[in-house]
Amino acid sequence: MSGRRTVYEIYWEILVYCKSPRLFTSIISRCDLNSKTGQEYLEFLAGKGYISKVTDGERAGYQSTPAAGEYIALFSSLYQKLFDKNPGFRL
Amino acid sequence: MMTNTLSQFKTEIRHFFLISLLNLVFAAIAIAIGVQYMVTAILGQTLDPFIPGFPMIPGLRMLSGAIAMICFGLGISWILTTVRIFEDIVTIKDDLDKDGDAIADERLTCLIVRMLAHYRDNRKTVRTMILVCTLGGLCFFVLGIANSIKVLTISSGGFAFTLDNLLLIPAMLLTLSISLASLLSSWYFSKFAQVWDGRLHEIGESECALKTKLGLDDQ
Repeated sequence: MSGRRTVYEIYWEILVYCKSPRLFTSIISRCDLNSKTGQEYLEFLAGKGYISKVTDGERAGYQSTPAAGEYIALFSSLYQKLFDKNPGFRL
Repeated sequence: MMTNTLSQFKTEIRHFFLISLLNLVFAAIAIAIGVQYMVTAILGQTLDPFIPGFPMIPGLRMLSGAIAMICFGLGISWILTTVRIFEDIVTIKDDLDKDGDAIADERLTCLIVRMLAHYRDNRKTVRTMILVCTLGGLCFFVLGIANSIKVLTISSGGFAFTLDNLLLIPAMLLTLSISLASLLSSWYFSKFAQVWDGRLHEIGESECALKTKLGLDDQ
């Protein structure tokens, strides 16, 4: 996803994408990040215990932990709540 | 909650798509009519009896030629701004239609995030579009009136006008309907902008909950 996003939206996107193990390059390409900021985001999420490093043979990747589920659920409920009510004018 | 959210989101995206499409069509017609009125204003001149070979330029024709030129320019600007908005809306709408009603919770959230990101990127463009649509609507309104009037006499006692030709009425109606369509889409765009600004504000407020969840509230 590209476009102007908040950090919370980027965290959510990384966590959802990493539900199955993903390579660093796939993550930054999918989330439209450069390698420096991508690394920073992943380090932050790993520090909070929302993402962990996994190795599959020689390849090292990242995967969301069960703890990330709470953040993902909260994020989804907050964003979906935006469309709970009518926009206030007739469509 | 998700069914309600999905139907509301779908309705809004579809309406935004339709208004953008309507804008594209009318912007194209605006360019065509602008050119047509300009050519008519330039070529449809009678020769001046006092200056041989020089066309007589009545004030009303000159006015409609100038307004037609403005309409042509606004039409081009109108089409360019609409295309920018339209492209992304089409992608979101297509993805929404492809997934149908069985859309996953995360997929729906992803599309909402995409729409918010798209709005953040195009906030200024939407504002320009509101302005261009309003100006275009007003110009076409004046053009529709000016081109159907043959003679306009203004005196201290009031004013009188003569319609040029009955055949001009369909053209006048088309011009007026373009002006109405552009004013209507400008109104819809401003309403959408208002709602989306409100949503961005709401997201800003709910970021506190996300901050707390990430343990950032004490930093």
